[in-house]
Amino acid sequence: MGFIMDGLDAESYDRAYTDRALVARIVGYFRPQAGIMIFVAAMILLSSLADTVLPILISRGIDTVRTAQSFGVEALLVGAILISGVVSWLLNYLRQRNTARAVGDVVLKLREDAFDAVLKRDMSFYDETPSGKVVSRVTSDTEDFATVVTLTLNLLSQLLLVLLLMGVLFYINVRLALLAVALIPVIVITALAFRRIARRTTQHARRALARVNGLVQETISGISIAKNFRQERAIYDEFRGVNAQSYAVNLRQGLVFTGIFPLLNTVAGIGTVIVIYFGGLRALDHTVSPGSWYLFVQAIAMLWFPLTGIASFWSQFQLGLGASERVFALVDAEPRVVQRRVEPVERLAGRIEFRHLDFRYVEDQPILRDFSLTIPAGQTVAVVGHTGAGKTTLAKLIARFYEFQGGELLIDGRDIRSFDLRAYHRHLGIVPQVPFLFSGTVADNIRYARPDAGDAEVAAVARSIGGGDWLDALPDGLATEVGETGRSLSMGQRQLVALARVLLQDPSILILDEATASVDPFTEAQIQEALDLALRDRTAILIAHRLSTVKHADRILVMRSGEIVEEGSHDTLLAAGGHYAHLYNTYFRHQSPDYRPGEGFVAVHAAEAV
Amino acid sequence: MANREFTVAGEYRYDRSGPIRWIASHLLRHKRYLALFVGGTVLAQVLNAVVPILTGQAFAIVLGPHPDAGQLGRVSLAILGVVLALFVVAPSGAFASEVLAQRIERDARDELYLSLLGKSQTFHNQQRVGDIMARTSNDVRQLNPMINPGVSLILDSFSGLVIPILFIAFIRLDLLLAPLLFTVAFLIALRAYTRQLNPVSGEMRGRFGQLNAGLAETINGIEVVKATAQEPWERAKFDVNARGYRDAFVHNGRIQARYLPPLFIGVALAIALIHGLYLVTHGQLSVGSLIAYIGLVALLRYPSFISIFTFNLVQLGLAGSQRILALMRQESDLDENESGYRAPIRGEIVFDDVTFGYGDTPILEHVSFRAPAGATIAVVGQTGSGKTTLTKLVNRTYDVTAGRIRVDGVDVRDWSMDALRSQISTIEQDVFLFSRSIAENIAFGLGSRADRAAIERAARDAQAHQFIADLPEGYETVIGERGVTLSGGQRQRLAIARALLTDPRILILDDSTSAIDSATEDEIQHAIRRVLEGRTTLLITHRLSQIRWADHILVLRNGTLVDQGGHDELLARCDDYRRIFAHYDPALAGVPTPAGEGAA
Repeated sequence: MGFIMDGLDAESYDRAYTDRALVARIVGYFRPQAGIMIFVAAMILLSSLADTVLPILISRGIDTVRTAQSFGVEALLVGAILISGVVSWLLNYLRQRNTARAVGDVVLKLREDAFDAVLKRDMSFYDETPSGKVVSRVTSDTEDFATVVTLTLNLLSQLLLVLLLMGVLFYINVRLALLAVALIPVIVITALAFRRIARRTTQHARRALARVNGLVQETISGISIAKNFRQERAIYDEFRGVNAQSYAVNLRQGLVFTGIFPLLNTVAGIGTVIVIYFGGLRALDHTVSPGSWYLFVQAIAMLWFPLTGIASFWSQFQLGLGASERVFALVDAEPRVVQRRVEPVERLAGRIEFRHLDFRYVEDQPILRDFSLTIPAGQTVAVVGHTGAGKTTLAKLIARFYEFQGGELLIDGRDIRSFDLRAYHRHLGIVPQVPFLFSGTVADNIRYARPDAGDAEVAAVARSIGGGDWLDALPDGLATEVGETGRSLSMGQRQLVALARVLLQDPSILILDEATASVDPFTEAQIQEALDLALRDRTAILIAHRLSTVKHADRILVMRSGEIVEEGSHDTLLAAGGHYAHLYNTYFRHQSPDYRPGEGFVAVHAAEAV
Repeated sequence: MANREFTVAGEYRYDRSGPIRWIASHLLRHKRYLALFVGGTVLAQVLNAVVPILTGQAFAIVLGPHPDAGQLGRVSLAILGVVLALFVVAPSGAFASEVLAQRIERDARDELYLSLLGKSQTFHNQQRVGDIMARTSNDVRQLNPMINPGVSLILDSFSGLVIPILFIAFIRLDLLLAPLLFTVAFLIALRAYTRQLNPVSGEMRGRFGQLNAGLAETINGIEVVKATAQEPWERAKFDVNARGYRDAFVHNGRIQARYLPPLFIGVALAIALIHGLYLVTHGQLSVGSLIAYIGLVALLRYPSFISIFTFNLVQLGLAGSQRILALMRQESDLDENESGYRAPIRGEIVFDDVTFGYGDTPILEHVSFRAPAGATIAVVGQTGSGKTTLTKLVNRTYDVTAGRIRVDGVDVRDWSMDALRSQISTIEQDVFLFSRSIAENIAFGLGSRADRAAIERAARDAQAHQFIADLPEGYETVIGERGVTLSGGQRQRLAIARALLTDPRILILDDSTSAIDSATEDEIQHAIRRVLEGRTTLLITHRLSQIRWADHILVLRNGTLVDQGGHDELLARCDDYRRIFAHYDPALAGVPTPAGEGAA
């Protein structure tokens, strides 16, 4: 089924399954529902039979009314029609009800499996895959799968009805039946051709629409600027042009879709004409009874609707298989981080040692080569360097988010590959560059790493930062709702919450990727105060972007192309005039309170000024 | 509608007294298409109903006393004629409804846009851009599916129910028994079904949203989840959501399975048949009429499958119209004061015991300060301390609750609003640029009157000329096209160029975006220095260096002015102010900074 995936959707972990493997896997998910599925199949069969009986009974009614004179037979027939109608409805009711249950359970299981797989993936997976695509595999693709299963069952019952009806027609009169079904290919081809045209127009229209929608949005957000500068006429003229274009594009697309049903209806109508005329001729020469003739008329009306459905089914079915293939690829993706042993991790001192370590994200592009570094327990290390120098890589390796290819990484002298990862992570505090908050209150977020922490403990930690000033700026203090991804809080406030979270967690090792976003000076001062607290008594690796942070570090590591080129304190490195001095001129100079544009450069030896 | 700042000639007037009237007045604007839509839809149903009648005639000919192949042929041809007529009529109605749907969307957007342009700047400053966007995009777009398929399907189903019943009445009045019973039962069942299904399908959508949002949150925060080893907790949360959705899905399926009208159609068919057969055996109805009758009753199957979805579409459209109308009816509460004071501004701003609040919540309390003409005033304070609000009082985006603000000695409420605002310019943190050429963006404030030389001069003064010249098409580069995106610093410099060209006397500058590297910062600060020259500026900034070099600093805390003055005096006496420099204290003592020595 690999051909279903167009280049747009493919991810590195995607794989192609054979149709057989795919179907076998899907059947596997339905196995626990075997009882219900057999029942549903029986309902489909029986209800199709009941639906077929209905027009036959009506035709018999027409025939008997002309021959038999007693009304009793008629009454019996009508009674049978009533029963077949009621039974058909009941069977359908049972079928739909049970299908919903079976599909609901299968999708639930599929989602749980997909989610478990998501949680097991290492960070390399999340760095490579946009989060929206992972979400859509777990929710939308499983949903598509469910829709197709329901659709398949509906279609199966319609297909069965078509076959049964055609069987009856051929049984009554082969030549008339041949005439009646002559139009079936026409209907199927028309429906297929339409799908083709529709797909092409939709593609064209989608591109045009995206552009037009964007333009309309822009002209609308431009209103207040236009008013600011008193340019209403100009922007209104632009808007009118865009709006007219939007109308034209939408209309063209809409018209294609309104045409198809009348067209199919007409084909079916011609079928009716054929059956009435040629059936009438047969009835005239008594080859078929008037009742049978009427049966043909009814059958044509019953046949054409399911047929258009069948025509479009195959592509829908492919979509469903493609969706399930994407879900299974997610479930089956191989983890890259492999633990050799799972040993418990008690309290750590926090000594970190890289020994001749080799690491690369992609084959042939080494990031770290024969990299060695020792950070004693309790030291605060600031790592600086240009983008791509390998600063973040160090942090990610210590967090065991990535697998390295050679050498060793020791924590307190123990191989990091021998740890129970979940236990290890409890002793590791991480503050990402853009702090992430979960929806809920500020207190919920501080408590996230230790859900058992009491209210008093949370409040104490929060108050320990800058005397708790920052809580006064929140509308409801600790009970303030942070909104989705922390949206209701300012960036600076989010960083304070993230730092409070780490303080409560009390890890042995802290990894902090310093934020680059600008924060008002008061909040900034509080963040610095929180940072002082967080760095006390633990090993800390800071990916530093702020002048005040590098100045306060015990040790600065200057990285370039995966190597440590300099290390020392701020003042000594600055005086040395090497790579650090160059970095200072480039990134830190303007952060000084004394800064004036174009001034404040420190001297750099020409050899280092690259 | 009285205070409008912008109108166009020959504007069509719609009835805005209520959503239904408003939609009707939009539809009535296109009377021909409306007629074609209603006529085409109804006529198609009439033709549909003629087919069973003619079928009945065919049977009457064959089963009658004088069977005749020629007559059968003529009736068959008549049916063919009806089918071909349907081929023309049915699409016409459908096309007309599509045209109406697209036009109502287009016209409503135009109407709303014009109305928004007519509203005052005050109105726009008070609206959240997101809200207006939601109305103009989502609510306006919702009008389209409301007409087609919404209204169009409802009309189709309604005439598909009524017309066959009318035809049956013509065959024999008492044959109406079964169809009318069906209609009553159908309408009652439909109502009950809608009432049962709506909350459940709403719940299902809600649960799906929860499932999606919860999952997105877990994945976006996966680094935190993993780093804190909280996977089991996230799994439990996901399970609750996934199970909630599963239960709603199954419940929804159960209610859909219980849809009764298909059962009623079966029963109605049985009743119709026994009724018809009874009349035939008693010689009161011909077999041909019976066939026609059964055929017409069978047509009722079509409306019985009308989707609940169509009613929801109409409801959504009406709700959207309500919101659009509310927005169009809203009037701005500040008067324009056209006869007010007019003069070129020199630039002195005085806040005299100013208090401002929304309702009972005070935002600013008893703020007093004086900004001499040409001075740069830095406003510092925590997020939410009232910095932005303070600046918005100057151009009367909001009016003070108590106290007063004077510009050049005249209360801002006594200025003509036009004279006041046209001389005050604001550069916000998020700079908005149009998808036009850079030259047009810079010249935006002057319309087409700015010449290229003036534009380039402004760009040079704003330190923007260099990066503009480096773009593939220079000043003609269209922003947003072929991946041309500008950094925050570059957008800011374009906004500065735009402001330089209009030359405001008072400038409100929110300079809160930070440059990543010092070279960019150098350029931005050079540009800002240029734009500050010779005008009074209220500057909101996070940069310590900018704060310390300002002429005058206002320190805000929770809406009160805790202190004001120059850098050194504040450092000496204000604890709040000293705190923000505390971490740089050693830096203040002096870092080796041999000025002027540049890196290569």
